[in-house]
Amino acid sequence: MSAYKADAVIIGGGIIGTACGYYLSQKGLKVAIVEQGYLCSGSTGRCIGGIRQQFTSPGSIKLMMESVKHFQNMEQELGTDVHWHNGGYLFLAHSPEKKQAFLSNIAVQQAAGLKDVRWVDADECREIAPGMDAAGLLGGSYCPSDGQAYPFAVVQGYAGKIKESGGSIHTFSKVSHILQQGGKVTGVKTDSGREFSAGVVINAAGPWSKDIGQMAGIEIPVEAERHEALITEGVEYLNIPMLVDYRADGGYFQQYKHNGQFIGCYSPVPNVPGHSADSTFEFLHQMPKRMLKLVPGLKDLKVIRQWAGSYENTPDGNPILDRTGLDGFYTVAGMCGHGFMLGPAMGRVAADLILSGGKDLPYPEFALKREFSQAEAMK
Amino acid sequence: MVHNTDKIVCRCEDITESEILAAIAQGATTADEVKRLTRAGMGHCQGRTCRRLVNQMLARALGQKPEGQRPITQRAPLQPLTIKALAEYQES
Repeated sequence: MSAYKADAVIIGGGIIGTACGYYLSQKGLKVAIVEQGYLCSGSTGRCIGGIRQQFTSPGSIKLMMESVKHFQNMEQELGTDVHWHNGGYLFLAHSPEKKQAFLSNIAVQQAAGLKDVRWVDADECREIAPGMDAAGLLGGSYCPSDGQAYPFAVVQGYAGKIKESGGSIHTFSKVSHILQQGGKVTGVKTDSGREFSAGVVINAAGPWSKDIGQMAGIEIPVEAERHEALITEGVEYLNIPMLVDYRADGGYFQQYKHNGQFIGCYSPVPNVPGHSADSTFEFLHQMPKRMLKLVPGLKDLKVIRQWAGSYENTPDGNPILDRTGLDGFYTVAGMCGHGFMLGPAMGRVAADLILSGGKDLPYPEFALKREFSQAEAMK
Repeated sequence: MVHNTDKIVCRCEDITESEILAAIAQGATTADEVKRLTRAGMGHCQGRTCRRLVNQMLARALGQKPEGQRPITQRAPLQPLTIKALAEYQES
């Protein structure tokens, strides 16, 4: 079989791959997405759909402010309802140390241009999140323009636009080789022997991006880590923002506006490294305990499903957006659990980087070769 | 006369036969893809009724035997349980 010819081959059919593909195809490039499973079968389809601008890295704050603008316009832009809703995010502080950390984070966020983030005291938290048990709460960091969207609809929207522009999506196609000649990338080959040729290859393989890098002898410091989630039946919208409780026995959850389902997860202590989509019984009773502690009125709500997926962590909790030592081979990965929310802006910025021939690195703090010493504190 | 294909396949999420067929026409070849495109099987009963129907429709469209289609992943809890009942579980 002769090679499929494209201008850019993108490895990975999640939010990053399809967003990169969308913006490149809007600039006239013929894009081929090569995905080992189906669209959204990796991390994107397992995330809980939260979208926030409250970070501590100025680069992430700026990217997220841009992403929110994309989400706001997405229904019109992609011609599909992605269920964007600006329900807000409320990070809870139960200790003076956490309060102090949030106050300094808010100063960083406001300096980066995020004007509507603010400290709210415990009484105001109760108003913002009706029904929340504010016992021991000192207050919170609140940003009303943060929100939520539906990951499957966003990815399908991008994929549809890629196809409209003459691009193509190749599912159940697992890349096994990165092809190169004379220091330049020339395409990829799948484990069934199919070749895709292009002068640009983008590694958007999320938790598998390290493996893809190794095919070209390039070290990508991204490690998979299992996170679990659950979802409830849908009920009347209670107008509670995404609640984030960073305590060791805390968690984060929100209610989808469009169908009333509560969806949530927590970061396990200790963490669970490696590729795994196995669910645990521990999570199934721990998560309800944590939800009930914060919002006692949820007691009669029924949990209908639990699942798991991978974060794709870098050593400092910040993404990687860069060219590599192999000419034409780019890495857009290591989103550290924030790929869905970062995706739209990341795709736009990555497309510009690629169209500049890899010369205009927009965020030096997200370079592939960096110290990884500026840790993201709101991970 | 237009042939009416709008029979409900997934009762929980109100997904019709024509919506399933549209997902297959869009390129879905597995039940997992149909689920993510249409939400069939994502509701209260978690596909108890529709998973066989979806597999039959996929098999018919792709010229396969229904048993060749892998059903959607069954996930815990196998029947809906309240937050309170789950939260009351004590580790011994």
